[in-house]
Amino acid sequence: MTGIVRRLRRRPPKYSAAGLVWRGMRGEHWPRIWRDTELRRSYDAVVVGGGVHGLATAYYLARNHGITDVAVLDKAYLGSGASGRNTAIVRANYLTPEGVAFYDRSLQLYNSMALDLNINVMMSERGHLTLAHNDSSLRTMNWRAEVNKLQGVNSSVIGPDEIKKIAPALDTSDHPRYPILGALYHPPGGIVRHDAVVWGYARAADHMGVEMHQKTEVLDILCEGGDGPDGKGPGGKVVGVRTNRGDISTPVVVNCTAGWAGLISAMAGVRLPITTHPLQAAVTEPVKVFLPTVVVSGSLHVYISQTDRGELVFGAAVDAVATYSIRGSLEFTEELAGHVLELMPGISRMRLLRQWSGLCDMTPDYSPVMGFTPVDGFLVDVGWGTYGFKAAPVSGEQMAEAVATGRTPELIAPFALSRFDTGELVGEKGAAAVGH
Amino acid sequence: MTMSRLGAQPAEVIDRAATLSFRWNGKRFRGFEGDTIASALAAAGEHVFSRSMKYHRPRGILTADYWDPNLMVQVGDDPNVRAGHRLLEAGMDVRPQNVWPSLHRDIKAANSLVGRFLTAGFYYKTFMRPAWLWPTYERVLATFAPGGKIDLDTPHRYHDKRYLHPDVVVAGAGPAGIEAALAAAGAGARVLLVEHEDKVGGHLRYSSSDSAQAALAELRAALEASDVEVLTDSTVTGRYEDNWLGIVQRNHPIAVERLIKARAKVLVAAPGLIERPYVFSGNDRPGVVTSGAARRLINLWGVKPGERAVVFTANSEGDAAAADLDRVGVEVAAVIDGREGKRVSSAQGSSRALEAVAAGGNRIEADLLVVAAGWTAPTSLLNMAGDRPVYDAAAARFFPSDPPGNVLATGGLAGDGSLDELRAHGSATGRLAAQRAAAVAHRLQARTARARPVDGDEPSWAPDERTPLGRDPHPELYRSDTHGMVDLSEDVGSKDLVAAAREGYDSVELAKRYTTATMGPSQGKLETVNTVAAIAEARGETIAQVGTTVWRPPYAPLTLGALAGRVFEPVRVSSIHPWHEANGVSTILAGQWIRPDHYGDPAAEVRNVRTNVGLIDVTPLGKLDLRGPDIPKLLNLLYTNKWSKLPVGKVRYGMMCAEDGVVLDDGVTGRLGEDHYLMTTTSSGAGGVWEWVENWLQTERPDWKVHVTPVTTAYVSINVAGPKARELVGRVTEGVDLSPESFPYMEVRLATVAGVAGCFMWRIGFTGELSFEIHAPSGHGLHVWEALMDAGQDLGVGPFGLEGQRIMRLEKGHFIVGQDTDGLTLGPSTGLGPLIKLDKDDFAGKPELAWAADRPLPMIVAIQPDDPNMVPDEASQIVRGDTNEILGRITSSRMSPTLGRSICLGQVEPELAAGGTKLTVLLTSGERIGATVMDHHAHFDPAGERLRG
Amino acid sequence: MLLVPCPHCGPRNSSDLRYGGESHPRPDPATATPQQWRGYLYLRDNPADWLRENWYCRSGCRRWFTVERNTATNEFRNPPMPGDKRGGKA
Repeated sequence: MTGIVRRLRRRPPKYSAAGLVWRGMRGEHWPRIWRDTELRRSYDAVVVGGGVHGLATAYYLARNHGITDVAVLDKAYLGSGASGRNTAIVRANYLTPEGVAFYDRSLQLYNSMALDLNINVMMSERGHLTLAHNDSSLRTMNWRAEVNKLQGVNSSVIGPDEIKKIAPALDTSDHPRYPILGALYHPPGGIVRHDAVVWGYARAADHMGVEMHQKTEVLDILCEGGDGPDGKGPGGKVVGVRTNRGDISTPVVVNCTAGWAGLISAMAGVRLPITTHPLQAAVTEPVKVFLPTVVVSGSLHVYISQTDRGELVFGAAVDAVATYSIRGSLEFTEELAGHVLELMPGISRMRLLRQWSGLCDMTPDYSPVMGFTPVDGFLVDVGWGTYGFKAAPVSGEQMAEAVATGRTPELIAPFALSRFDTGELVGEKGAAAVGH
Repeated sequence: MTMSRLGAQPAEVIDRAATLSFRWNGKRFRGFEGDTIASALAAAGEHVFSRSMKYHRPRGILTADYWDPNLMVQVGDDPNVRAGHRLLEAGMDVRPQNVWPSLHRDIKAANSLVGRFLTAGFYYKTFMRPAWLWPTYERVLATFAPGGKIDLDTPHRYHDKRYLHPDVVVAGAGPAGIEAALAAAGAGARVLLVEHEDKVGGHLRYSSSDSAQAALAELRAALEASDVEVLTDSTVTGRYEDNWLGIVQRNHPIAVERLIKARAKVLVAAPGLIERPYVFSGNDRPGVVTSGAARRLINLWGVKPGERAVVFTANSEGDAAAADLDRVGVEVAAVIDGREGKRVSSAQGSSRALEAVAAGGNRIEADLLVVAAGWTAPTSLLNMAGDRPVYDAAAARFFPSDPPGNVLATGGLAGDGSLDELRAHGSATGRLAAQRAAAVAHRLQARTARARPVDGDEPSWAPDERTPLGRDPHPELYRSDTHGMVDLSEDVGSKDLVAAAREGYDSVELAKRYTTATMGPSQGKLETVNTVAAIAEARGETIAQVGTTVWRPPYAPLTLGALAGRVFEPVRVSSIHPWHEANGVSTILAGQWIRPDHYGDPAAEVRNVRTNVGLIDVTPLGKLDLRGPDIPKLLNLLYTNKWSKLPVGKVRYGMMCAEDGVVLDDGVTGRLGEDHYLMTTTSSGAGGVWEWVENWLQTERPDWKVHVTPVTTAYVSINVAGPKARELVGRVTEGVDLSPESFPYMEVRLATVAGVAGCFMWRIGFTGELSFEIHAPSGHGLHVWEALMDAGQDLGVGPFGLEGQRIMRLEKGHFIVGQDTDGLTLGPSTGLGPLIKLDKDDFAGKPELAWAADRPLPMIVAIQPDDPNMVPDEASQIVRGDTNEILGRITSSRMSPTLGRSICLGQVEPELAAGGTKLTVLLTSGERIGATVMDHHAHFDPAGERLRG
Repeated sequence: MLLVPCPHCGPRNSSDLRYGGESHPRPDPATATPQQWRGYLYLRDNPADWLRENWYCRSGCRRWFTVERNTATNEFRNPPMPGDKRGGKA
């Protein structure tokens, strides 16, 4: 596809300490982070979903491929879905070679993001500990460490003494039920300020001419030539999008939604191997910083980090029951607290401040569905389960390449929708089930 | 602000006869029983309680209750204690938080000077270059984290939970809530009344009027005479699906905090209203208080909040505060009436000599500025029930919209009125709640199978015929003509919000995320509406257009200890466990089971089994008792191999695959009688396989006659293995001829062992030795084990653990599901392709296994390192030569005591699966070694002569 | 905590049950094409609407049953009543 390279906007002022002082002295406001523009009737490409994946896709379309006639549509506000609800952990210590290569690229992009996007996303490379409480999880940790090392990713299995040195809050004593036998230690892992990633991509994409449209809900995807009703389905092609603000004609629609991936894909007549489950998280009141790393326990379904604001952020496994309701549950907080105190009994007096949930699109093999579909011009970047945030930069980069070249980039080839026709699933299930 | 203790007040809750001594900021103080920490300190003249998060501005009392953002203190090892709420106790060690080096001299207060550069979100715009300095910046930013300190040695004290099934739960014991509880109980409902404060009464408590006190006394007496259960100092923290409620009780006599879980048939939300601060320059200075704070200090605790006050009032509560101040001798220098369009514009000066400036420039000296600017409706519980409250500009607050029928609002949340009107509304709400609860109760009972059907039809759903409360007009007072603090916990000002909105963060959610307004400990209770108002102002929209953020649970924070309670995740042991412990066992955790790993020297245990005889406790082995005529059909469906012709007394091995062809479980099943089988599963698969079996029987083949009973823990399982096993078992067994001719390999018998009748015994084993596996009734397990041990002394009998068994199974090349297989291992990859009978009509996973038969698959193979002394760690990768290309991995490895060399199982790519293939194994040390694929899985006795003996 | 209408035990906390997911028929393994079989294994309707789904009352009667639930609101509809002969799942 050939994009019209639109005239670049005048470069807005850069973010810097000097800029802060200058504007502070003069009492001047900063310009809008992205423009508020009219929704036009036609675009070269439409990205559905204004989260980190959609915005990254739009950004790389513009930056790497000069395709700037792009609209990003979100039914609420940018970052309102999983992008702003996740626990902001990044890591590359996956189990399969394809997973490791993919997430390692993502981590590289996160590391250079502040300078690339000129916004401080507060990448905190604080290290990531995945605890093993039994023999078999220790074996899986070793497996991951070995695959990681072969791919040049810094991971190793460490014992309780070293764990205690890194995170003294953890109870490494001889516990009957969940002893800490070891951990996969991944120093490059850490946390990122998730909202800043949303705003950074949106701002940078805006600078290059991409349009962000909030409160713009996709009601239908207009197709022709397909096997199904209204020209949808396999064999068809995309011709446009119907929104609550009118129809748009476009030859390319990229579905970058989470939680609603199945519903959006159904609008093009594409069925997905996805069920939607809430993923809950919670945060405590702040206390002085005592936990320097990210701690994850797969057996206990919990992951913990402490923000620079002093709050402990907790996450867990997805809820078992498929639902689009994100009201959250009491039992989640009960189980969470129980498991957190198994790991760190000394924090029983900390108070839970807020719980929330987001929607996760779960696939059978705990790996995403990326790239082309049987409907021409309809691409998906979905099925991100509980690991979408950490993959956002590389996903955007690769999806943009797919759109621009019409070919599936090698890095995302293992994640093609067609693997569910051939039964060649990705083997991340073991590592990613609660692998945050 | 100069505070001191007044003479006795009519409504006071302190006991002046009971003096309590405590420490604050290192010094000794005294207060009275009934004081909160804050009221005791205020009475003692303290006026600075904390420093603000970002600018470290001094902060004093603002609301004097739970939500006061300035009264967060550390009490002993308890961080973030609400000093406006927590009752004083003798000996408390109370310290300020977030100050350095001290409360009164805080170095970070210098941040105030550069405040105009530290606008909200400034950190997103700087600290980017040089990139290597960011970790240092981050550490500095982290020192600004507010809050108390955690002592990691704090024990997880007693926190038990309570479960309730009330008809009606009333959240909030103000006059309307109490009336609702009384009326519901009067109509026959079981009622729980939950009050956030330590006493019931709501706003009546801090009213000095005789009529209010009389009403309070009347309501209290009625409550005491009723069957209503009252919980004080307790909060309904959340309303979840189907009225599942979380309630935290903070004043339980034993528990630090107790979580109560209640399935309420109807929830009545009566939390009252929260007074909203007003935004103006200096609104966060010590000496600026809400009208509620002034009234609470005076009336509840007899504290004189100042000497000379300015009152900014826009409602009757503000007027009442002015009257209270006047009554107790505080000079009311000026009353600025918000209803007349007058505004307070700023508060200036030091905390002890405040200067209030009214709009228009009129400066009034005072040491107290009381503000009554309106109310926030804490609609949290309604939000959690799915309601979207709507803003009423005339009343300047939000009101419920359309909550579900089992959630009713009353009191200030529902509207305004005289005390009588509020009580009448509460009463009507209680009656409605009781009626609806009766309908819900009937429905629940009718839907439950019972011997006798429930009498009568379901009562109709009572319509809501309550007379609605009115709505008092109130001026929309959010911000004065100056800018001030909106979120005092987070140090976010109205200026920050306006700047954020202009920068494009112009929806309330974006502004909240960007500025962190409403993200602090009060979670928006005080600041949400002011936040919305600031954004509305910046956008030129109304509050209704901007809308509000979603209130999320919990309504009030609760400790992790309360949520966790006691963790009920028991471990399991077999009835033989006491013997293991008495005999030097080292245990290993396997799922829920604590199992013997070894008794000191696993290699010696292996040698003893290979030469003499050993016993292993394999009780966790999953066991399902199957009865019925259709069992062969079931087994044919679940296992890949054939079961139609298994005779009585025979045992067969089978592998189960899931519908996607992936190996699910394996084990042996024996036919004990004509219609009676015993199926065994892996230990970890015991629960899952049982549900899998039930799923097939109930949903796909409901017409088949098979009854399944899990008997894993009903039997103790002991494997007796070794060349002398027959000799040993023979010494304690009655009624079975153990000779190889009459009891050959892979057969099962019912036997009496050590005098215990009803034992099943079969000739199988994981070790490759002559083995008898005895399943004895669990209560006699220890006896049977000890009898075997005693009987075999001269045979050299000894115990062996899981490690010994793992070594021996690896010598025999038996794979373990979940260790040598993984989530993608298809049936044929195990090397058991011949056991997959594709000529059967149907079995789980058959289509995938049929298609897989034509595909090259990764294979499980036996591997021996070229260096017999080198044992590659499990998970070592198999690579192509010197490259990093992964071709497989070692899934199991051990040093074999029997063979005196290292042995492995591994998964390899199909082209490497043939016996004799040379492999490169990358050790975890980074070294690469050579290894060879073996012809058979079994490293030892591939023909199986020993076990058949 | 959802209150799940078990036809035998009555409404029970969802923690007493195992969620069995969307109710969909198993194709005839003798005739299923790879596409049909993998559709059965992997593809789901996943509507934000009424859904027929399976539950297993693991801490109660240990029966599987099928109910309709609205995945947008978590409301159950037409729950099987005690004595109904609607066992099993579709």
